[in-house]
Amino acid sequence: MSTTAATASRGSHISRILVIARHAFTQLVRMKVFYFLAVFAVIAIGSNFFDLPQHEGPESIGVNVLRSIKSWSLGTMTLFSVVLSIVATALLLPKDVEDRTLYTILAKPVPRIDYLAGKLLGVLMLVFVSLALMDVLMTVVLQIRSTMVLEQQMEMAKSLGWPPEAIESLKAETMVHGPSWSLQGAVFAVFLRASIMASLALLISTFSSSTLFTTIISFLIYFIGHFQADMRDAYLQAGQAGEGVFARLVTLILSLVLPDFQIFNVIDAVIEGQAMPLLVVGKLTLVGLYYALFFTVASWFVFAEKEF
Amino acid sequence: MAEITPAVEIKDLVKDFKTSFKKQMLRAVDGVSIRIMPGEVYGLIGPNGSGKSTTMKALLGLVAPTEGTCAIFGKDSLKVDSRNDVGFLPENPYFYKHLSGAETLRFYGKLCGLKGRVLEDRVGELLAMVDLENARDRRIGGYSKGMLQRIGLAQALVQEPRLVILDEPTAGVDPIGSRQIRDLIFKLRERGITVFLCSHLLEQVQEVCDHVGIIFKGKVVKEGRLEDLIAIEDQTEFIIKDASPELISRINELVATSTGATLVRTGKPRTTLERLFLRETVNREKDS
Repeated sequence: MSTTAATASRGSHISRILVIARHAFTQLVRMKVFYFLAVFAVIAIGSNFFDLPQHEGPESIGVNVLRSIKSWSLGTMTLFSVVLSIVATALLLPKDVEDRTLYTILAKPVPRIDYLAGKLLGVLMLVFVSLALMDVLMTVVLQIRSTMVLEQQMEMAKSLGWPPEAIESLKAETMVHGPSWSLQGAVFAVFLRASIMASLALLISTFSSSTLFTTIISFLIYFIGHFQADMRDAYLQAGQAGEGVFARLVTLILSLVLPDFQIFNVIDAVIEGQAMPLLVVGKLTLVGLYYALFFTVASWFVFAEKEF
Repeated sequence: MAEITPAVEIKDLVKDFKTSFKKQMLRAVDGVSIRIMPGEVYGLIGPNGSGKSTTMKALLGLVAPTEGTCAIFGKDSLKVDSRNDVGFLPENPYFYKHLSGAETLRFYGKLCGLKGRVLEDRVGELLAMVDLENARDRRIGGYSKGMLQRIGLAQALVQEPRLVILDEPTAGVDPIGSRQIRDLIFKLRERGITVFLCSHLLEQVQEVCDHVGIIFKGKVVKEGRLEDLIAIEDQTEFIIKDASPELISRINELVATSTGATLVRTGKPRTTLERLFLRETVNREKDS
């Protein structure tokens, strides 16, 4: 056996997945997807100007602006990450089939699961890097603005003659609206939700014949995911339905297959200044991992049997 | 003596596809058996839709046989490890346009487990072999059809496979590019690499292949050594240079007086249109 062939036989699953992931990442980057960061920058800076009329007290000065920065930034992050994860995943697989590049890849010693996992990982890398960059921008804007707000509040409180304890309390209340670990947890939750959507789009694209179909169905499931829990509860509470074995089975399957995105509503609580406990982060991580793995394994089952 | 394992062994391959209408089955390949020994250049010829590409895809595990088996150097085609020894160039391939020629080869090399110096050396060697050194850092999106085919051939060879499968390797390529690919196939043959190609450019198949199979409506209708298949056993051909009219006259007389022999045709051999084209384009450029 030649040196090259001997080296070739040493390729591992991990290294192949990473090669495909890095390639998918580069492919998407060279499609100039990072241009949207400029749009995000405009939104993050623009949200500084959404200042609603204030009450007279120093406690309300600028807090709405901080809330607005977080709300607009996290909203934009959600929008971009979900759109990016669905569209990018829906695009990559059919494009490889159409251009026949998939033939050349699968004609190499590349197991189909490595190909799928690599593509998914590439999209997730892109979403992660995008979110990280947006997170840095949001944190910087929030830090600058919260310092300004704090200075204004302190000045006004002192001029009104507030006692030092009250000033400290005000400071602590305002600080929760600034950059915090909970806010980082919220960004991580946005990433987890995008990961679920990317793996779902991957599953759909394994049996769909077009990017458009995959995109539409993925968005449909995304919206259903926000009402899934309500529908389930309404069904279980309607008369005797909730007591039957069949009803319970249906709801169980529904919860296992369709992601419940209402659990990600904790992001809204963080925008309102509430803390995100580590336990919640752990729970979200487990849920995210479960659905991402479930959809990826399901994709593999479909893709393994697919003929080209 | 130990028996040599065939490079390709397709046994009684049947492939049915579902048609969308009433779930009727369409038989694309019907009981095809092909055996290619190491070092052979085998050409599978047939009209469009005769089952050539499906046979190749079944051999690469891209489609699963309905019946029968396919093996590469004794390994089942449906198993991933059978692909360690095979390189494939599909018909009209489009590689990732955002990558350069060198990046494309690096990508495929890494998929086969190559890395570091070994990979870089191999990339350089292959680019030189397919005459794309000058375009190594140019994006594939700007490659001509002939260059795409050549980079495709280079990626097929990246892990030094013992078998190369080429699906219509010269489809849509101009005569110069086509000649370059033909020369590359000759190089592969010299290196002892088994080549399995399908084409409907019969002249080219005749030039490069030593074994040929004719497939029609999913069945192999004729197969064997090219020499045996195309020889006209009851005829003999002389090609004489600078023959005088007297010599030709004497030959004609000899044939006329001999019993049982008939002169079928005399005349001047013709060059092919391809040779004429190359002489008037590439060779003219070289001479000037």
